[in-house]
Formats: sequence, C-alpha cells, structure tokens
Amino acid sequence: VENLGEVSILKASSGFVSTNICLWLLNAVHQPGSHCVCLLLSRYKDLHVYQLEHPTQVIEWTSGKTVCVAGFTSSKNEILELRLPLKLFADENKGLCAERDFKVVHGGFTDAPVRCLRHIPGTRCVVTNDGLSSDLQVWDLGGDDSDVIRRTGSVDGSRGVSEGGSRIAARLSSQPQVLHGAESAGVRLTQLTSGQTVYTLETDSADPLSSLHFVSDAVFLAGCSNGKVYIADTRTSAAPQLSPPPPSSGESVLWWTDASAGPSCLDPSSCRIVRLSSCGQTVISDLRNPGGAVSRAQLDVQTRRCNADDVRVSWAPALDDCIAVSGFSGAVQIYSSSVWTTELQEAQPLFEHRGHAVSSQSDDGVPVFVTSHVWHPERPRTLLSAASDGSVHVWDWVDQSAAGC
Amino acid sequence: RSCILVSIGGKNIMLDCGMHMGYNDDRRFPDFSYITQNGRLTDFLDCVIISHFHLDHCGALPFMSEMVGYDGPIYMTHPTKAICPILLEDFRKITVDKKGETNFFTSQMIKDCMKKVVPLNLHQTVQVDDELEIKAYYAGHVLGAAMVHIKVGSESVVYTGDYNMTPDRHLGAAWIDKCRPDILISESTYATTIRDSKRCRERDFLKKVHESIERGGKVLIPVFALGRAQELCILLETFWERMNLKAPIYFSTGLTEKANHYYKLFITWTNQKIRKTFVQRNMFEFKHIKAFDRSYADNPGPMVVFATPGMLHAGQSLQIFKKWAGNEKNMVIMPGYCVQGTIGHKILNGQRKLEMEGRSTLDVKLQVEYMSFSAHADAKGIMQLIRMAEPRNMLLVHGEAVKMEFLKGKIEQEFSIDCYMPANGETVTVTTNPSVPVDISLNLLKREMALGGPLPDPKKPRTMHGTLIMKENSLKLVSSEQALKELGLNEHQLRFTCRVQLQDPHSDTDTLHRIYTHLKSVLKGYTIQHLPDGTVMVESIVIKVSSSTEDPNTKVLLLSWSYQEIYIYL
Repeated sequence: VENLGEVSILKASSGFVSTNICLWLLNAVHQPGSHCVCLLLSRYKDLHVYQLEHPTQVIEWTSGKTVCVAGFTSSKNEILELRLPLKLFADENKGLCAERDFKVVHGGFTDAPVRCLRHIPGTRCVVTNDGLSSDLQVWDLGGDDSDVIRRTGSVDGSRGVSEGGSRIAARLSSQPQVLHGAESAGVRLTQLTSGQTVYTLETDSADPLSSLHFVSDAVFLAGCSNGKVYIADTRTSAAPQLSPPPPSSGESVLWWTDASAGPSCLDPSSCRIVRLSSCGQTVISDLRNPGGAVSRAQLDVQTRRCNADDVRVSWAPALDDCIAVSGFSGAVQIYSSSVWTTELQEAQPLFEHRGHAVSSQSDDGVPVFVTSHVWHPERPRTLLSAASDGSVHVWDWVDQSAAGC
Repeated sequence: RSCILVSIGGKNIMLDCGMHMGYNDDRRFPDFSYITQNGRLTDFLDCVIISHFHLDHCGALPFMSEMVGYDGPIYMTHPTKAICPILLEDFRKITVDKKGETNFFTSQMIKDCMKKVVPLNLHQTVQVDDELEIKAYYAGHVLGAAMVHIKVGSESVVYTGDYNMTPDRHLGAAWIDKCRPDILISESTYATTIRDSKRCRERDFLKKVHESIERGGKVLIPVFALGRAQELCILLETFWERMNLKAPIYFSTGLTEKANHYYKLFITWTNQKIRKTFVQRNMFEFKHIKAFDRSYADNPGPMVVFATPGMLHAGQSLQIFKKWAGNEKNMVIMPGYCVQGTIGHKILNGQRKLEMEGRSTLDVKLQVEYMSFSAHADAKGIMQLIRMAEPRNMLLVHGEAVKMEFLKGKIEQEFSIDCYMPANGETVTVTTNPSVPVDISLNLLKREMALGGPLPDPKKPRTMHGTLIMKENSLKLVSSEQALKELGLNEHQLRFTCRVQLQDPHSDTDTLHRIYTHLKSVLKGYTIQHLPDGTVMVESIVIKVSSSTEDPNTKVLLLSWSYQEIYIYL
C-alpha cells in the first residue's frame, strides 16, 4: 500500500493495477470516527454496507429476499428478519430503484445467545440453539399482521455433554422436521409439531459436530470437528457410512464441512463434500467414494486466530466448483476448486472480500473477524457476510479472471 | 404529510404543515377541521413551528395561513425561511401552470405567509408568550433542519421533524441535550430500516458517472442550488483528481449565485454546533469544475453537468436534458424526490416517451438513474436520540401499528418508557407528573422538623399539616394559625355531638364508671381516661353521662368529638 497524501493505492493481488485500482477516499471533512472504505469500482457489481447494533454469528435465508440475523451476547439479544434492498433485485430497472436499505420486517427478543439459527423450509418457523446446551428454541417469524417474532416452543436435545451446542439442519418436508445434535451419537430428527423423534443416529463414538447437512430428503451428513464425516439415511436403521478424517490431521486440528448437491440434486451420490481444517488444509471428496479425495489444496488463511464458532466453508449454490471460506480473519475468500489436483498445493483465492477489516468500526484495536457468510441461493456471485464489529455486507463480486482483464 | 397538533399546558401548537405529494385533490392538505370546523385558525393556535423546507413538512403552509387563515407567529430557522419560499414557488408553478390546478395558493400568498415568519437560532430559548417557550436544536438531514423543544411550565415536548444521526459531508449529526421531555415525537417511517453506508451510495454514484464518461457519454445531474450539489461536487472533484480524469465537469451559473448566497447563511447557522465537520473553503473553487455556458451542451465528447432546477421541470436542466435524451450513451442522475407532474417524476417512473410543448414527443434513450442521498435516522438512530434526550414517553408517527410492534417493544424494554403509535386522526393523551413549586414558611418547616423522630428521608413522602395559599401566581404553604392571621379569619373549632340512650338504673357516676371500664377492656390500644370533672375521654372523644329528666333509669350519653375519622364500637 502506498500513501499519496489522502489517497492510498492498493495493488491488487491479481496483479492488474490499472483496472483494479483501489480508491480510498478519506473523508474530505474530518468527522469523529471517520474511516477509509475501499471503493473498488470494478471489483464489485454491487456493494452494500450495513451496521447492526450488535454483531451476529448467524445469517440464514428465510426466503429469496429475506435473511435472519441474531445477537450472541450472554444476556438479552434480538432476532431480526431483514429484507434485502430492493435495488439488488431490480435487475433491468435497477437504475430507477433508489432503495438501498435493509428493512427490518420482523423482530423478537431472546434471553440467551443465538449460536445457530436454521429456517424450516416451507414454514415461517426458525429454530435456534444457544451454544450452552443441546436444546433448541422454536420461533414463529410472523406474517403480515405482526412484526414480532415469537417463541412458540422448544425441542429437547440429547443429554450428552455438549460444550459447543447443537448443529441444526432442515429440508422441505410435508411435516416440519428438524435434524439436530451436538455430537454424532445422538443426532435426532424431530417432528416439530409433536416433538416426537422419528430418527436417531447411532455411532460408535460421540464425536462433537461442526455441521449437519441434508443432501437429499433422507440422506444427511454429520461433519465432526475431528474430521470424520458420517453419511446416514433417515429411512434405514442401518449403521451410517463413515468417511474418516483426512490424513495428516493432528490432535488439535479442527475441521469444518459443507456438502453440495452437485449437478444433479436428485442423486445424492453425486454430492461433493468439502472439508476445511483449522490450518487451512482443504479436501474435497465425492459421496461415491467418501474415503478418498478428489482434490486438495492448502488455502492461504491467516491462522492467527481461530475460533471454532466462526469458521465457515460453503459451496456456491449457483456456481461450479466455487467455495467460500471465512472466519480466520476479516476477509471472505472465494476459491475455485476446478484447478485443484490430488496433490496438496497452495491455492490462491479467486476473490477476496476485505471490506470488513478495511472499514472496521471497532475502536479498541481488536482485529475484526468475519463471523458468518452465506451465498444467495440463486444469484451466482451474491454473498452476505457479517463480522464481529456488527457489520453486515451484501456484495456481488466480479470474476476478474473470467473478464479476461 | 407531516402536521401534528400538540396541546400542552393550555397552549395549542402546530408542528409542521406539510403537503402529501401523492394526492392531487384536497387529501394532499392536512385536515384542519380537527382544529375548527369553520373560520380562521388564529384563535385556536398559539404558534406554528416548521422543522425544515421539504414540501411534506411545509408544502401546505401558505394554504393554511392564507386560504384557511392564520395570523399568529410561524417559527422556523433562518435557512428554512430563506429556502422555503423558493421551493413553495417552484411547487406552485408546477402544480398550477403545468397541471392547471385551481384550488392552490398564489405567489402573493407565499409572500404574505413568509411575512408571518419569526426566525429561530439554534439553542436559543424563544418566549412565544409568557408561558410558552421554544428552542431549536440541530437536526442534520438538510440545511436548516431543526428539532424543537417546546415547554410550558414544567411540561415539555420535543418534536424531531426529520433528523439524521450520522454526519454527512456538509451536515453534522443531530444533537440534543438531556432535556428529559415528557414526550419525544419522532417519525417512524425509517425506524424499521437499517441504512446502507454513505460510502456505498457514493461508490454507486461514482461508478455510474465513470462508466458513462468511459463510453464517451454525457452525464446530467439536476440539482437544487444547495445541499447535495456541493457534496456531489466535492465527491467528483476528489475522484477526478485521484483517477486523473480529463472529462470536463460544469455547474450552471444559476447555481453559483444562489449557492454563494445560501452558503453565507449556512456558515453562520451551522457554526454553532458543527466544529470539525465543515469544509473551510469557498464552495465553488474547484480545480476540475468550471462554470457552464449553454453552448457547451453541444460540445462533443464526455462531460458532467450540474444544472438547476432539480426536478427537470423548467430552465437549464430541462434544456440540456432535451438535447441529450436521444443518445443512449448519456445519463441523467436524479439525486432526489421529484414532484408529480415534472419530467423528473415521469422518467423515474420509467416513461420513455415524453410529450413536450407543441405536441412534440421526446424519446428518452439515455440511462436514467435514481439515487437517494437523503439522510434519515434509522432504527439505531432513534435509539440513539432517545438515549440523548431521555424522554419520559415516546410517540412515533407515520408508521403502521402492526409494523411497529417490535420497535415499540424494544423502546419499552430498553428505556422503560411508554411508546405510543397513533394513526392519522387519532388523539393520544399522555399523563405527566408536573412538579408544582410551592414556598413553605420557615416557621412551619421548623415546627415540622421539631416534631422529633429521625430526619426525614427525602425519597419518602411525609405527611404534614398546613394551609396552601394561592395568591397571584405564587403558592405557599404556611401553618394554619399564620394563614388565619393573614386572611384575617377567626379559627373555629367544630365539635360533633351525638346522644345515645341507655337503660341503666345506676347512678350517673356509676354508669360512667362502668362505661369507662367496659371501653378500657374492648378498646385496647386507645388512650382512655377517666377525668376528675366527670367525663371519660377516648382519644379526643368526650363522653358524659346524665339522667333523662323524664325517667331516672334512662341515661343519656353525650358523645362529642372534633374529628370524624375515628370509628368507635359501642
């Protein structure tokens, strides 16, 4: 970064300085609390920057245009359902739409932190977990007649030791159901209306979970922090398949998982699993051969700080082979795994969103880190990301490599 | 439209008098029949206060003062007073000349209305009359916007108008002291939004301008003379400098004259609260921005032009628009709201063919961009303002009740105050706890203190006995004796008597003694005395016994007491 008086020019890592000039505009008028924002005109198609009153660790889609966020302080927190700015969706008429703000469409209060929040598809229901026990809280987001999110019930978790709280997954089903658990032994599928457990996962060891994903109506993955992935079918009582942790996994290494439905979501075996370790090692496997690795890479993540709660890895739902990674720092990185091989090699991100670190609002010198990110389910390059300073960004990035510049 | 009536301490105040921009008929005006069914409003209002120059806050003012009728004072800040008549005149021209409306105010009415205006300075208490005082606070939002504190006796209300809690390039953030009003009245329109950062809006603006210039297009930015124009100029100037761009930027001369005039007003008005947030330079000494000449519009190549008026309804901006509309490489950026009937409003609604004078049509091929730079407080901003002012009650206007429950709950929980959300036409009554100052005589105070016991706890109420005298405008508490003396009255003692008949053959003395013994056994805890003068006293009740003259076996008990509150069982 070079300083030219009021302006700094950042040479983008992709090397194209002239088109990737980062324009830092210092406030021409000095104001208390002023800061620089990276206005990368050519790197983003859209960029929206918001400041919540309290940071969130969860961002969950409740429809194509609304997301839920929630606080995680130890006492009172808010759960908010936000509608994304209309301008983002205006497409052809974008120019005529000036609306750039989030709208708080529903809000509610909770007395505990919200560490995990999942929307039950086909309903106006969300389920949360406070990270302190494995029990879940059930909420009604409300409709047009009220803007208050109300607690409607709870779901008991299994009684194992659960320091990290439960992971939650849900998919569309005729009867609203929620899959939840804090450890591999004891993951349950519970009917929301009756509270009845219709399936329980039984595994030999009780491994703490880092994620749960449905890959079809009946097949789900339980990703464990030690790198194991269990593949189970809720229709059978047969033992789940086990995909062992990738080699060179040490004692203190933590793993996070995501599963993609692959090109054909009807065939769960075409689904791919990505596993990311706390040292940045990434392994992609195929459900057809869960023990093997399709490709691997060593990601360029800064591992200075690694809070198990914050790391997220996710497949892009509408882009081939793209993975987003966050939680290691104040950036969200997008990687294209299409160029990866079975040999462990360093990979460079296709794109890095550094907005949270650059426009950080925190004054106490504590570095900002990204707490969560999600891809838009349909818009290929639109993501939402949240950070520890309460910022929430909505961004649509430009694939510079594809643009050929 | 904003128009709120407040009754406080016997005074009636109208807060804002706006026009509803969505209606073409009388629904656009506030309904003044709430004040009186017919006749002028002067007798019913003690004053009118206008928060800022936006038409949804002052658009109906000339209608109210000249067509309905009001001759009392109209308060607004100096910049509002300077800018209001211009916007009103513009608005009038569009509505009457372009749309041919008849039930509308005239230019003369605007002038007559403005003659009734009394300008306000920031933080200066103004006595409207000897009981009503008002004070203006800085609101941000637009030039001259104010929040108003209204006080009558010990009751007060703060009305925010439109305000903004994040500073701008040329405006600071709203500020108010811990004035603890009984009610804080705030708009709730944006209360449920979370604002996108100013930097992203600016980025969008620069991106659009840059893209147009890069492809050789011309960019027209219609602006009002002051406010956003300066901000956008500063932004472009900095951008041009850093990106080393060569395309010319112009501003129309009409802009300079007006801007410099208002700029001077701007400086003196805002200096009071904005210290660091002010650009210390001549607003129009730019390196890359030059004065426009109308012949430049025909020059080839890319350029950016700032021109008035802001809604493309007349003048230079419209002339330039007509020249550039046919080329799809060009762009027009509308930085704000456009009134119905203007070209600006039409193109923002997607109209691509416009009917111009002489039946000619204009094909709109250039790119139309609507950008909103106006600054409003959002959910966070409202909470910040409440934290600053510490009101006892909150009132939110212009929201839909079902969409405000969450915010109401949030305010009630965080601040433990009631939050009201009246609909249009609804009245809300808020009870206050006015403190009534009373002087107490030294003698009375000393006497009460001398009654002994521990020193009184200032938080606990303590009963005392005195007389309240209201004389002229003062209230004082004195001892009863002093009150009687001052008023020249004699004290009278009232004693109540009652006669009870008993059949008792004993002597008077014996009967009395038996009554005494009986009372002593049943009325434990009361002071009962048998006095040598032949009476029994229970507290202050005196009991005497005498025989009936007709029948010595019938005894008559005479009970006499000076207080009615003591109940005795016999």
